Amino acid sequence: MADPLESGDDIFDRLKKGVDPKLQREKTRLANERDLAQFEKAQRRLGELIQDNSTLPTTISSIRILNATNTRRGFLNRIFNPIVSANQDRPYTLAEAIREVSVGADKLHKLDIFHEPISLFIDRPAQTDASTTPTDVDIFLSVVEKSRFKFKTGTDIGNAEGSAYVHGLARNIFGGAESLNINASFGTRTRSAYQASFETPILSNPNLRWELGGLASSTQKPWSSHEEVLKGGWMKLRWMTLGGGRHELGYNGVWRQITGLASNASPSVRGDAGDSVKSSLMHTWVKDRRDSPQLPTKGYLNKSTLELAGWGPLQGDVAFGKAEVEAQGAIPVPIPGIQGESGVSLTTGLRAGLLYPLPLGTESDSKPSRINDRFQLGGPTDVRGFRLSGLGPRDGSDALGGDIYAAASANLLFPLPCVGKDKPFRFQIFANGGRLLALKTTDEGGAEGEKVRQSLSSTMAELGNGLPSMAAGFGLVYAHPVARFELNFSLPLVLRRGEDGRKGLQFGIGINML
Amino acid sequence: MPQDADATSEERPYPSPPKIQVRQTSRQWFTTPQPIRRLFDKFPLRTYPVNELPQRSPQNRERHALWVFTTNTGAQLGAPSFNPGCLKWQAYMIFKGIDFVTISSNNHASPTGALPFLLPASSPKLLGEAALPVPSNRIERWIREKEKNQHAGTSALTKQNSAMSESSDMRYEAYMSLLNYRVRNAYLYSLYLSPPNFASIVLPLYINPSTSNTLTRLALSHQLRSAAETELLKQSPIIDVEAIYRDCDRAMESLSELLGDDEFFFGKGTPELFDASVFAYTHVLLDEDLDWQHTRLRDGLEQYSNLVEHQKRIAEDWFGARGVRKESKSREGLK
Repeated sequence: MADPLESGDDIFDRLKKGVDPKLQREKTRLANERDLAQFEKAQRRLGELIQDNSTLPTTISSIRILNATNTRRGFLNRIFNPIVSANQDRPYTLAEAIREVSVGADKLHKLDIFHEPISLFIDRPAQTDASTTPTDVDIFLSVVEKSRFKFKTGTDIGNAEGSAYVHGLARNIFGGAESLNINASFGTRTRSAYQASFETPILSNPNLRWELGGLASSTQKPWSSHEEVLKGGWMKLRWMTLGGGRHELGYNGVWRQITGLASNASPSVRGDAGDSVKSSLMHTWVKDRRDSPQLPTKGYLNKSTLELAGWGPLQGDVAFGKAEVEAQGAIPVPIPGIQGESGVSLTTGLRAGLLYPLPLGTESDSKPSRINDRFQLGGPTDVRGFRLSGLGPRDGSDALGGDIYAAASANLLFPLPCVGKDKPFRFQIFANGGRLLALKTTDEGGAEGEKVRQSLSSTMAELGNGLPSMAAGFGLVYAHPVARFELNFSLPLVLRRGEDGRKGLQFGIGINML
Repeated sequence: MPQDADATSEERPYPSPPKIQVRQTSRQWFTTPQPIRRLFDKFPLRTYPVNELPQRSPQNRERHALWVFTTNTGAQLGAPSFNPGCLKWQAYMIFKGIDFVTISSNNHASPTGALPFLLPASSPKLLGEAALPVPSNRIERWIREKEKNQHAGTSALTKQNSAMSESSDMRYEAYMSLLNYRVRNAYLYSLYLSPPNFASIVLPLYINPSTSNTLTRLALSHQLRSAAETELLKQSPIIDVEAIYRDCDRAMESLSELLGDDEFFFGKGTPELFDASVFAYTHVLLDEDLDWQHTRLRDGLEQYSNLVEHQKRIAEDWFGARGVRKESKSREGLK
């Protein structure tokens, strides 16, 4: 017989030692596997059951949404009425009925007013009810509405900027998935920004939305020695096409004020100081087929933005047509000797833009562009190895921006040893470059339109003159779900005199990096 | 070595020996080792000539530029500004024989938040090192220093003495304050707070050129009016219109007495800063190009014929062709 004391000691020892982590892990793994197998089996059985009955004639006699107390009936009717069999000219099979209902449930989910998951129940009405037919089913969708009001305060630290914000969201205001977003933030660079926007789906369609918004902000622009104060509003229609493209068509009206000039601001910036109103139509198209927006390993992104300001009936103080395109592609690079995905990938990006001056309203002459309409290029989120707005024409220390630009980059990403390819860390080697040019002044006379075309073509020619301004380097990438963080070491290879290259380390945070 | 010039520093000399010295001593602990620095110095591998400036950038910087409130054509002709604060310095610089151009601008461009300011000429070779702007309150000193540099020796001394004697004159200070408070208050009231003048002068000259948008114009009008109001309320707790006009009338009377039959104030043979200050108001009030609807100030001024003569003399003699254009028009207007 064992000594009770001794055995007691043994228990305490064992308790003290804790559970063997290896054993524990193994246990959890087995349990998980068992659960998974069971779940799979259940799914398969359900699938088989539906499969066996997939051609069973079914009529949906009613669809009930449970617990949607704050949502208008008419709004939901528009989604589900067309599905109900009374509105169909032929009966469903069971599979079709389930598919139709889940399409409706998917719409509900996209409206962002219900918690996930939305549960679906199918019931057969009592056969004793004389008004039913044997094929009738009743559908129940049980939802939990998200809270109608959300309020958040916090602080952010971003690209050399710290800020504090207040964010309020009111959901489903009128029971039709309308939302009101209110934002206020105060920071070191964006001194203050207030923004409010109201958004509503049109005809209960989550893929077709209308938005109305307004903003008032004041932003420091140290790269060109001024502060820009904006007050304005916009109206937007957003829709999605079947191919997965997202479109946005909107009108913007903004009162811009260039003010608060630094004491050493250049004459060019002083000349552009003051008020101007931009009244413009804008269209954006995005097709994002990347596997991850922050750290893509395969797929592509295409984006185009078109803006027409001040032309004809648009009025305002500035008139131009502006076009910008962006393309990004990523391909996995196989490494010989490594099975499956190596985690090494190559991403390339290209951006280009053009600002074409137009005659304002009914005037016959077009006016040259202003600093707040021109493009800026350079910095850790586009052409790395340059300071923020480090490329393009400069007057003294001020980046004046340009009317035409093109930039490209190639990044080769490797997983870090010891960390692995599944973690969002990568080591990168990159080379990128670009040109940012202002439209040339032409001395030749002639019709106004002809003059602009001439200066455009000579500026285009300049774009290909010599090597683009370039930098190359290497660094670390961390892809947070919200933004991408990079710490790079780089050296400028080619510069224009006056352009602000950065030798050494550079830190960047961006949502959309070149 | 890395060019670490930050954008906010006032001056950015290109790497010069003293600067490097400073960096070395202040950053002793993180100094990059010599071989690495030599490697860094090799980059960029290739440097092309500078990018061209955008079309709107001022191209000609070899002449001094006075940034004032004026119309675009007025700026080309060098016509008198319609803003007394700007016209004062414009006239003074003309009196001093300084060669300059006027540029049409607005208060946002100014380092002090109010026009005028002077942007001294910069030589074309040093495009990167534009001269710092001279705000209006330092224009006098800038001119004095410029004169001192130009003719070193006795002539500069006498000139400086004359300037000194003028500003040390007690009477000068007293009369200057008449202009800066009494006349200015009446001018502010009459221009900004009398609706007919606001509509006929402020709207077309100050507001409409900055934007074509009606809402923005309304907002700017409101800002201007409330700024004028707060300015007036700084000096008295209420705005007593009659008192403001009465004070201005008395001020003009004293100025008229001070001028007497002389050509210029204080019996000088050439106009000085005080003449420029008086001319700035009298010209804006008498200029027939400005459509004063509420003419109380102008009517008051026209009673003092010597002040009117003084304005005409300066406009014709010093603004030359630019003034004559006004005169021919004013005669038409008088018919």
